[in-house]
Amino acid sequence: MKETIYQTVCPGCGIGCGLYIRENGNGSVSIDFLKSSPVNLGKLCRFGMKLPHYYSDPSSGKVEGLVSGAEEAVKAAASRLKNAGKIAMLSAGNTTCEEHIAFTRIAETLGTVVHTGIPVYPELPSECHPHLEGMPLAEIENAEKIVLFIDPYVQYPLLVRRLLIARRNGAHIISAGTKELHLAHENRDLSPEQYAGLELDSNSVIIADVHPHTDSCHTKQLLNLALETGARIHFMKPFINSEGANRLARDKTGMMGISHIMDEIEKGDIKTLFLLDSDPIELMPDSDRTANALSKLDNLIVISSRDSPVTEIANVVIATESLYRKRGTFINAEGKLRENSGQEVTGIDAMSLLSRELGSEGFEYRQLHGHLHEKMIETLANENRKPEYGIMECAPVQHNGACTLKYLFNPFMWANQPDDNDFVLLNMNMVRSLKLRKGGMVRLDSEKGSMKMRYRVERVPDGMILTARKLQVATGTNTTVKVEGC
Amino acid sequence: MAETEWEPKIVAFCCNWCSYGGADTAGMGRFQQPSSLRIIRVMCSGRIDPMHVFNAFLEGADAVLVTGCHLGDCHYVNGNYKAQVRYQFLEEMVRELGLEPERLQLNWISASEGEKFANFIRDVTAQIKQLGPSPLKPEGVN
Amino acid sequence: MVEIGDKLLGYATNPDVRNRGASGGLVTAVLAAALEKGMVEGVVVLKRIDEYEAIPVITDDVQEVLASGGSMHAVPVNLAKYAVGRKIAMPGKPCDVRGVIEQAKRNGVELEDTYIVGLNCGGAMHPVVTREMLIRMYEIDPEDVVGEEIEKGKLIFKTKDGEEKAISIDELEEAGYGRRENCRYCTIKIPTNADLACGNWGVIGELAGSATFCEVMNEKGKRLLDNAIEAGFIEVQPADEKSIAIREKVNKTMLKLGDEWKGRLLTEIPDQERLAYYIEQFADCIDCGACREVCPVCTCGEDSKCTMFHSLADNYKMSMYHMVRLLHLSDSCIGCGQCSDICPVDIPVTTIFRRFADPAQKKRDYSPGMDLQRPPFLELMLK
Repeated sequence: MKETIYQTVCPGCGIGCGLYIRENGNGSVSIDFLKSSPVNLGKLCRFGMKLPHYYSDPSSGKVEGLVSGAEEAVKAAASRLKNAGKIAMLSAGNTTCEEHIAFTRIAETLGTVVHTGIPVYPELPSECHPHLEGMPLAEIENAEKIVLFIDPYVQYPLLVRRLLIARRNGAHIISAGTKELHLAHENRDLSPEQYAGLELDSNSVIIADVHPHTDSCHTKQLLNLALETGARIHFMKPFINSEGANRLARDKTGMMGISHIMDEIEKGDIKTLFLLDSDPIELMPDSDRTANALSKLDNLIVISSRDSPVTEIANVVIATESLYRKRGTFINAEGKLRENSGQEVTGIDAMSLLSRELGSEGFEYRQLHGHLHEKMIETLANENRKPEYGIMECAPVQHNGACTLKYLFNPFMWANQPDDNDFVLLNMNMVRSLKLRKGGMVRLDSEKGSMKMRYRVERVPDGMILTARKLQVATGTNTTVKVEGC
Repeated sequence: MAETEWEPKIVAFCCNWCSYGGADTAGMGRFQQPSSLRIIRVMCSGRIDPMHVFNAFLEGADAVLVTGCHLGDCHYVNGNYKAQVRYQFLEEMVRELGLEPERLQLNWISASEGEKFANFIRDVTAQIKQLGPSPLKPEGVN
Repeated sequence: MVEIGDKLLGYATNPDVRNRGASGGLVTAVLAAALEKGMVEGVVVLKRIDEYEAIPVITDDVQEVLASGGSMHAVPVNLAKYAVGRKIAMPGKPCDVRGVIEQAKRNGVELEDTYIVGLNCGGAMHPVVTREMLIRMYEIDPEDVVGEEIEKGKLIFKTKDGEEKAISIDELEEAGYGRRENCRYCTIKIPTNADLACGNWGVIGELAGSATFCEVMNEKGKRLLDNAIEAGFIEVQPADEKSIAIREKVNKTMLKLGDEWKGRLLTEIPDQERLAYYIEQFADCIDCGACREVCPVCTCGEDSKCTMFHSLADNYKMSMYHMVRLLHLSDSCIGCGQCSDICPVDIPVTTIFRRFADPAQKKRDYSPGMDLQRPPFLELMLK
């Protein structure tokens, strides 16, 4: 009848909502609300409410598909890594800062870097990087004007509360995203040339996000807008420790976006992929193609706290404890350092052993945590910095075609989660022109295939179809499709 | 389309044994009925769940009518008593929600009361025409 | 031996427990005795997180029970969840107890082996609001607080430097702080629905602060007390008439104030504006389902009408989820306020539910969660 309570942070997105995980005697997991958490006051979104499901598949160590202990898996990984050619290491930020640092140490031993998968960092000049860090969420509440380039309701739901408070405080909210938002005063479908019409000033806040599929050209345009108007800019992040992982990367210019890594794997330039709690099959819009590419690798080594599609096909899986049980810290999108109450360090122990197997030193938690503090102290004091970058040129990618299918939701948040968002959003004009009926379906045809989907009527721009889920017909975050009623 | 007079959409839940018979009788007696009516036949008024009523409103019904056998005449002993209890609940809730009382009505009609059925529908249609479309009607539904 | 209906003053015999407990440590000792003597297999204790927050956990360690205690005006929690099918004893505020009883009435849990010790409650405060209040109203750093107390309508905070600052609760609540809204108009202050109704109201004279007033509500309450007395964990004496009168007076004053608050918080909305008001209130809902998850009276389980008939693909003006919940709760809502606390977009869910439940429950003279005898009124009327 003994229960264990873990105070932890939600892994759904970069906001870093505090919560309790309650583990009862038989190992089943439920959530509880940490009401004094400064980030979310105990409140959670749909993803947070489904966390017990997320934690229901703890990973098990594997070598060549056979279940094996940690030590055996580590040794197998070491022997593969020693003989490997070009190694790509990816840690998108789904685990603690300490594990990320340990992973980085291994990268140094192997003479490579850890990629965080977000293409914006390598593609933008380094003087921009500090401006990709978030600002304190509480400050959003005091903005006079807010421009949203995201849909807070579905992508980062815990932002909605902040925006509603800002609205009550008199802020004028403009949605420049794709979907009409209830909380916005104005919903404007703007092209970058029209951004000047937003009339921003230093009391305005721009809210956007950077994730593995962000178009860095658009990020440049937003940074330009901030520079020209003096507005503050806040970037949301997709994973619990995205912010931490990116702050910890010493030299971001050597990094690659995840699509770039997948391209190199497809071309055969990268033959070894080493992952830390990051699953390209979940992260890439086209799962089949990604799984196919990964099967061409010579070595696929995964350190993971939960079972996911990539652990199925990996050569070696080094299993670690579930995220909520880990000892360690995270840095959320606003730059707050959040700590787990858990005390387990099997992930760090495994990486320490791996490091020794590779002929370097081992390490322990305390050391890594100390390193974090050394590196972070100056960056954690996130002031409203003066921009040090100049106006950047960029040529936006054109999406041609009658209809564009676009990922509306944070595509990672709902990866492999049971959810009933199995529909696409389209507008009333499309319903009328396709003569769709209530309860009917639409057929989507892309170069990749055809599928039927339910739909929901929503105020979206003409010719735009939004989806919450990864669809088989999608080839990227934007896919040209043909739509028919059926 | 704008020229023609607006016709409300009225959903009537009718029990198989009485009120549906009443509607039938109304038809056979050639009582003129407005085109606003959509009948949903259920075996007994006791089958009508408040959710059915909510769903009708949310899908665009301008009025929902719950009808069944006269109390004491239920084919299944007490189905209409159950309907009545549920209806009282539902009625209070719909009132508190702020929908006009005319939009949700209960009536007991036997299979022989064709005229009563026809008059009831005519009255409701007239009342709803006065009120206009339901505020719960979704966008794009006439 | 005590009898059902007895009104007693009691305290823990262990001086440590007696001193640490806010009012004589009676409740702690009764729970510990039940565990010690094998009446139950576990006890729900509050695990302290910080000065403002606690979370219930089940323990089977008597020492852990004895080490718990200390009064906290913590926000209610879903105790019914922990009672399911277990032989357990737990403390609870009136609304916690109402939640458990409503679950049992609707066959959600079995209460046969569950003992509930009720605690008087004048209202709970939200941890975050409390912190903000400390900074703005008290000008105290929340981290410096070591204790709090309510005395003569004033809320007193003690800091680690040994200083005290008191502000009247009325003043705090006028400023938007203090108790949660639903607590202000709550109608059950003394948990007469529990097995034992305990609290410090009516404890006067030299016993003030070191004894608990305890009313034995039923057979299970009698067993609990008898067991604790037999085990030598507590001592009791009958309460005199003055004590009883004072307890009643405190209760009446609280209820009267509650009525005033209800008038102020549940203001009338004109007929023609209500629908628009409700639609607007629910418009920012992000479909997290937390209000249902924390709801102590919801017994539908995983597959329920509010979730199964609600689809994200629908684009209704008001979702089926809310429609069904509004209907269901007009029967069973106990106004515990957890849904409002947890709503990620700050919809005043409890206030909205009370707008529906209040007239419906009043009309039928029905208070959910007060006893196991009276069935939910939908059932009652069917005969």
